[in-house]
Amino acid sequence: MNEREKDGKGGGRGAAGKGEKGAKRTFFRRRRLCKFCVEKIDSISYKDVKVLSPFIPERGKIQPRRISGVCATHQRALQTAIKRARQIALVPYVTD
Amino acid sequence: MSAERQYELVYITPPDTTEEALAELHQQVASVVERFKGRIDRTEPWGRRRLAYSINNQREGNYVLEVIFGPAALTTELDRRLRVLDVVMRHLIVRVDEDLAVAERAKARRKAATVSRRVRRGLPPEPTETELHRRKDDDDDMDGGLEMGFRGGREQ
Repeated sequence: MNEREKDGKGGGRGAAGKGEKGAKRTFFRRRRLCKFCVEKIDSISYKDVKVLSPFIPERGKIQPRRISGVCATHQRALQTAIKRARQIALVPYVTD
Repeated sequence: MSAERQYELVYITPPDTTEEALAELHQQVASVVERFKGRIDRTEPWGRRRLAYSINNQREGNYVLEVIFGPAALTTELDRRLRVLDVVMRHLIVRVDEDLAVAERAKARRKAATVSRRVRRGLPPEPTETELHRRKDDDDDMDGGLEMGFRGGREQ
């Protein structure tokens, strides 16, 4: 029983190690800026589907800010706006 | 704090709702608002729109937006009434005065910062028309140049 557990863990570690080795190349990614800060949009309205839609990918989930680069303040506002827009069917909850 | 607040009410009716039914619905909303001594600031019919998902087996809906000023008690009554009505497929009441005030403050703060910065530099407080255009062009040039450079490097 003990050995089996050890084996399982060992396998997991090995796989993780391989992944790290592969991703050693240095990426040069441009720092993403918050769209709302740059364009000086003060209020994010739930009525404005054009503003919201870039932050709703195919699946219908809200895009995380580590991908979109939106700052924390605006991500919070964006979140409430999207959730309100969903309630009145301007934006989907899910799409498959 | 004043008792009057600003609310936005959006409701969706089926796409085949007649003009008279819509007018009647608006009248009902107005009567509730009036009873609480509020007022309807403006009404915006958005018309027929495709719904993002089907509600009551409908793919389309007739949207109406009403901007209402009134006390908080108004929303509970309005909410209850709209939920009972069959013509209303979906509705949403949102308080907007606080968000608008925040946006207004942010705008004022930014403007004040711009003015003080420009005065410190010895420029007139308002940017002139030509200045605005020139700055925009400069930004565009730099963006394009940098991106081209990176792309070229990666290909090799």
